[in-house]
Amino acid sequence: MSIEVAGGRRGLTDPILAAQILAAIPDKPLETQRKMNYFMTPRGRRINEYEVLCCYTQPTPDWIPGGLDWGDWTQKFHGGRPSWSNESTEMHSSDWLKHRDPAFRWHALYVKDKAEEWRYTDRFLKAYSADGHVRSIDPVWRDEVLGDYLGAFGFSEYGLFNSHSSVVRDCLGDTIRMSSAMIALDKVDNAQMIQAERTFLAKLVPGFPESTDIPKKEWTKGAIFKSARETVEKIWQETYDWNEILFSGHMIYDPLFGQFVRREFFLRLASYYGDNLTPFFVNQMQLYHSQTKGITTDMFHTCLSADPEFGEYNDRLMRAWSDKWLPQTVNALKDFMGIFAKIPEIKGVTSKDAIQAALERVFDDWQRDYAEPIGYKVDTAALIKTVLTGLK
Amino acid sequence: MAISSATKAATDALSVNRAPVSVGAQEVHKWMQSFTWDFDKNRTKYSTKYKMANDTKEQFKLIAKEYARMESVKDERQFGSLQDVLTRVDAANRVHPKWNESMKVISNFLEVGEYNAIAATGMLWDSASAPEQKNGYLGQVMDEIRHTNQCGYINYYFAKQGQDAAGHNDARRTRAIGPLWKGMKRVFSDGFISGDAVECSINLQLVGEACFTNPLIVAVTEWASANGDEMTPTVFLSIETDELRHMANGYQTIVSIANDEAASKYLNTDLNNAFWTQQKYFTPVLGMMFEYGSHFKVEPWVKTWNRWVYEDWGGIWIGRLGKYGVESPASLRDAKKDAYWAHHDLFLLAYALWPTGFFRVTLPTAEEAEWYEANYPGWYDMYGKVYEEWRSRGCEDPNSGFLPLQWFAENNHPIYIDRVSQVPFCPSYCKGASTLRVLEFNGKKHSFSDPWGERMWLSEPERYECQNIFEQYEGRELSEVIAEGHGVRSDGFTLISQPHTNKDGKLWTLDDIKKIGCVFADPLKAL
Repeated sequence: MSIEVAGGRRGLTDPILAAQILAAIPDKPLETQRKMNYFMTPRGRRINEYEVLCCYTQPTPDWIPGGLDWGDWTQKFHGGRPSWSNESTEMHSSDWLKHRDPAFRWHALYVKDKAEEWRYTDRFLKAYSADGHVRSIDPVWRDEVLGDYLGAFGFSEYGLFNSHSSVVRDCLGDTIRMSSAMIALDKVDNAQMIQAERTFLAKLVPGFPESTDIPKKEWTKGAIFKSARETVEKIWQETYDWNEILFSGHMIYDPLFGQFVRREFFLRLASYYGDNLTPFFVNQMQLYHSQTKGITTDMFHTCLSADPEFGEYNDRLMRAWSDKWLPQTVNALKDFMGIFAKIPEIKGVTSKDAIQAALERVFDDWQRDYAEPIGYKVDTAALIKTVLTGLK
Repeated sequence: MAISSATKAATDALSVNRAPVSVGAQEVHKWMQSFTWDFDKNRTKYSTKYKMANDTKEQFKLIAKEYARMESVKDERQFGSLQDVLTRVDAANRVHPKWNESMKVISNFLEVGEYNAIAATGMLWDSASAPEQKNGYLGQVMDEIRHTNQCGYINYYFAKQGQDAAGHNDARRTRAIGPLWKGMKRVFSDGFISGDAVECSINLQLVGEACFTNPLIVAVTEWASANGDEMTPTVFLSIETDELRHMANGYQTIVSIANDEAASKYLNTDLNNAFWTQQKYFTPVLGMMFEYGSHFKVEPWVKTWNRWVYEDWGGIWIGRLGKYGVESPASLRDAKKDAYWAHHDLFLLAYALWPTGFFRVTLPTAEEAEWYEANYPGWYDMYGKVYEEWRSRGCEDPNSGFLPLQWFAENNHPIYIDRVSQVPFCPSYCKGASTLRVLEFNGKKHSFSDPWGERMWLSEPERYECQNIFEQYEGRELSEVIAEGHGVRSDGFTLISQPHTNKDGKLWTLDDIKKIGCVFADPLKAL
């Protein structure tokens, strides 16, 4: 027979082709080592599927720690800047490929989770609307807080999303590149969920504006998000060091400002104003926050702070970055305090003592989970006091 | 609590209509262009000489969750096939051995392209100012992660279940030893991520994806299937379903700069450079992998190339962009010549350098030689005779002490590496258009095989400084280099690469190579 087999004949099922193929196959496998990436050090006891599919996909030479290749770049930027370089960050590492998403999510697992959330969101919204829940939401909360300020907070999430573009381009490791892209998609998902909620409300409540005009005006011109906006703009566009972008966004700004706004404001207060819609969306955002926290604390604490060669230096740098980004974040929170003057007060819920308690929860969490692991000393009581001066 | 008029209206509406309501992806996406805001320092971190328009739209209007739903459905089908029926029929052990070896290279090298495209589209996401355009690039970032994982899954699957796991199981480490790797990095790595952002988009989306992924990802599935491999079509065709959106991103990139004055000055030059960059590697390497890496042939590579590259891309796709001033690359005609002989020239060198690979290679059989001669008249006189000579000198037998590299030295046919493309060439023994050009810069000699690459280097030599394998390994003995690069199997001495796929053939070891005493030399030093 001819060896040219055009016409879609398949070697697996065509008996004539299959016979020739089977005759050529060795009687026993030629290699006994069947584990892909067998040479790598797994995070756990065994190399898992995530590590097989993600680790060492980064083709960096060995002068970028962790790389397996050799030599120079085959094409550089105009002027000769290298494709990837150690100079892209002030952080040092003895292995840029060490990071792991604690959930070991490669793409298929990540989209499976989000797809389920989307299907469930659709079912939830249908049940919510059919049940007429929207009638119970306090109108001020609905029209001003959800319409304007939740909408404005969407820009914070959208700005943070964009801060990851250069991280995805510049970072030096495969797993952190994939993790950063997933964090970014979660952030734009947050912004889109906020708009989805507003669109949903507009369908149920005649006259509720779904346009982004008022929220954008609030975000760009208003006082409540002024410092938040300025901080997000700096993270997004003024910061070039990819580690500093991740650190400022996910180790300072979002665990403090993001957590207070999402968890202690919208999530905690919503039910008091008859709103059991917003918690549905914000809980998804909190899940993403929790997953992001796992990723970034792995990167900055498990990998960089504990780096056998550069850990001490990295801790010093992270403390310096904390000094730089913490005051801006505190200002963002201080400005945000103005929102409490916009809502009907509920004693013990939106009064100063409750706000202070909420701030203490956020700052205590941050101190324990983010500051202490890098030896950052901070007087959270003083910071909270500063934030509270923003109450009108 | 007071009830506003809006609340009353809502209540009234609900009393007559309790139809369940949800929110569709398009209802959210329609607001996306308004998600950004202006501020003083809102600019890209990656310079481009082009200006992308602020109002550029994307064609596939996805939001994050809808994207995930779509991809998840595709994943279910794909992994369901792989893990269920294909495993039950032991499909990985029913692939022709030659093709099993080809997939060590194809899936890993495509993985490199997909991986670097994550970074490339991250850069484009940063460069674009329109939120919809950013969103399109973000979708591609996620796709490229998917494709990276999928390509890895092919090697993972073959390693776990197939007939020869070596090379599949460690391609990410051993790929760096041999002569094909640096050229791969030029086209699929650095070419996508290092340069003017739009230039990178042209490399990635307008040429890499719109032109070469068709033969690489679509045509390859026919070759795979003919040779018993149903895993590759299952995965690669699923990858291809995303590529359409990527081509659309490339198209929109051109649309976004169409009215920019810089486009009329630079776009066609950038396109020509990108096309030549990509074709210089892919034309010979893909042709070689298909024709020399298979037992059953689908059609001559030159026909595939002509259909996908010359007619479909150079004619139809670029033609659609004609209204934006885009012209077919000037180098397309020279590339068409390469499509006939370049892969035959390259296989001669790849076979000669077989010990540095991470896959087994096979000399053409008699019936293959007949097929080559029928489709490429003149093939036997140039290549067939040489392979016969190598075979008669025992090039497949470890006891022969003969490496085909020796034939090149004996016959005074030095092998050079093109500095810009990093593709090896032998100017004194080739039927393709390669000619040797040597230039000296900063005390270092550089060889080139064609004027298009040479022109790129002359314009910006600082972009193409990478040393090649002859410079890197100069003075080193071959078995040392292989051992250092981990090019051995789990027994610690048998080479991963072999010069045959005969089931009863002997396998070469490090000692067999060491006995020959082959030492790398830099051919440029002899000039």
